[in-house]
Amino acid sequence: MNRLRYQLKSIRRDKMCLLTFLLPVIVGFAVNLLSGASFQSISETLFGVVQNETAEDTVAWLRQSGTVTQYETIDALRSAVNDPSTQMIGVLQAGSTIQTFLSGDELEVTRVIADTLPQVYENRKEALPVERTLIPADTDREGLKSLLIVITLVTAMFMGCTFNAMNIISEKEDGIALINQVLPMTTRSYVIQKILLGFIGGTVSTIAAALICMRIEPAQVLPLLLIILLSTYISALIGLFIGTFSNSLMTGIASVKLVMILFLAPPIFFYLIVPDHTVAFRLSYMLPSSATFYGIMDLLNRQSANLRPAFAALPAHAVFWSIVYKLLQMRKRTPINDGTDGFR
Amino acid sequence: MRKIFFSLLKKDFKLMLSGRFFLLALGSLVLYSCYINFVYVKLDQEIYPVYVYDPQNRQSVTSEYVARADSRKALEAACADQYSVGIDFSRDVPEVYLLSCGIETIDHCRMIWGEAILRGNMTGRADTIGANNKEMKNRREITAEFLFFELSAVGFLGLASMLFKEKQMGVIRVHGILPVRRSMFIFSKLLLLLGADLLFAALLTILNLGFSYALEVLPAVLLQAGILSLIMALVGFLCAVRLPDFKQFSLFYLVLAIFVTTPVFLAGQTGAAREWIVYHPMYHLFAAMKSAYFSAPTVDIPYYLICSGAVMLLFLLACRTLNREMTKEG
Repeated sequence: MNRLRYQLKSIRRDKMCLLTFLLPVIVGFAVNLLSGASFQSISETLFGVVQNETAEDTVAWLRQSGTVTQYETIDALRSAVNDPSTQMIGVLQAGSTIQTFLSGDELEVTRVIADTLPQVYENRKEALPVERTLIPADTDREGLKSLLIVITLVTAMFMGCTFNAMNIISEKEDGIALINQVLPMTTRSYVIQKILLGFIGGTVSTIAAALICMRIEPAQVLPLLLIILLSTYISALIGLFIGTFSNSLMTGIASVKLVMILFLAPPIFFYLIVPDHTVAFRLSYMLPSSATFYGIMDLLNRQSANLRPAFAALPAHAVFWSIVYKLLQMRKRTPINDGTDGFR
Repeated sequence: MRKIFFSLLKKDFKLMLSGRFFLLALGSLVLYSCYINFVYVKLDQEIYPVYVYDPQNRQSVTSEYVARADSRKALEAACADQYSVGIDFSRDVPEVYLLSCGIETIDHCRMIWGEAILRGNMTGRADTIGANNKEMKNRREITAEFLFFELSAVGFLGLASMLFKEKQMGVIRVHGILPVRRSMFIFSKLLLLLGADLLFAALLTILNLGFSYALEVLPAVLLQAGILSLIMALVGFLCAVRLPDFKQFSLFYLVLAIFVTTPVFLAGQTGAAREWIVYHPMYHLFAAMKSAYFSAPTVDIPYYLICSGAVMLLFLLACRTLNREMTKEG
């Protein structure tokens, strides 16, 4: 406890350090400010029409299926459709029919809708003798917003890793690691102190961010807390790995960058693209961040039943990486058994 | 003078080598290229799958988008993803069944898609006015984004890490008494980083666009990459000289990565939130990079004027800061 106080003292003056842990909280606020509605329009189908050349009822009909943007000239419409960052379908009125056009680089869903739209428009008057059943959604899915929330939380957990790695490397560069060798401090207590700092910081910042942007029900508090604790522990441990095995700040920060990409990109990719009953999806639990990611996503979507694999994977990761670290430390120490009990 | 400059260049090059700068750039290049070639080009969103439950085989709905379900239960299970559409022919009146996805217009879209499948007329074709197919668009888009990210990161970090190393070794102090112009000190670093960044940009483009496509866009891309690299390297230089240690610098870098590049990516990927993003200075650099990849000449002279002005200003500022720092160091 006393030693932890020294550690805290050494970082207290570091304002930037505190800022790192505050960062996710700030991002959490920003995400919270964005309303779900502003994200909704992204996933909607986009239609572009020419003002004054499209009948009122056509525009109203298109509005039922997506967002309609009106352009003054056909050229403006064409360049909007051609813009590679949008999925806009251009709609031209041709008498009582409509004609659609695309830039040709759209997703399949947009392409097929554009292909069939004129036909559907013609048939709009004569209703088909069918029964339409629309089951309302049991949860209000916030789509992109919940994705952003999860990314914020996983980043918050990752802060422990960044902090630990940077802390250890800069101590190495400043020569504190050398001083530690002659101090009566064992590697074990050094490691524990270092892990603890990143762990506490990461946990506090994640919990703060979670409080800001998640609506948590009482029954979810425990699972969420467990996920956060396990994940921040793992990320603090990864920070320790990076800190111990990189010998300069540049390699350190490059590894942090690489690990951060590997930490964040695969879960998002698997979550969005791969169906969750496939082997590939299950294999993605090999990455600790995936387990965290899916776990929090399920909590957000109120699907507590799916949490089991995450709870199996996270402790397994925690134990596994701790053992790996221990073994590596032992291998590192054996050749230099010169009697000093100091830190190496 | 030239000899001094070359020895400065040589020293900086060695510093980059020993800092494993090139190795890291190579690592990023491999990682990005693998991601683009094996993952990103294959990304697509398919049209709402339609599941048909037709126990008496009354309907002959055949379409590439239709799959059969064996029972009503299987139909409902298939539609549970809030994306698929189910059609049930087991009763007299066919039923279009779907689970709401939470967005009204998309539900409507899915409903009329189900009905269109029922009607069975799928012959229409929309006109195509663009020059890119989806794969080429994906390649161009993601390469532009990665290059933007990597240049803002590496330009910023690379120079700073070199400078911190030199600061630690006391090189700045030594420079104070050497007969070398201060601007040379900055200039040699800039030149090396610019060269490295341009090489990286060229390799990334060739690897991910294919040689013939890459040749078309390379001149424009290299121009934008050069501008971005210079600006970011100078900003990195300024921060590195001002901030006391690398740890603080790396945290500053995280702030930059999150608040500067993320909004730009969001705007670039989704085309949304156009109104406020124009006040984000990095967005214009990103937009110019993207239009270079799409060979769209949307960038005009004021942009280049502002960019060159910014580079000059940053360079002068860097010289001044370095001067002040050297006075401080004695």
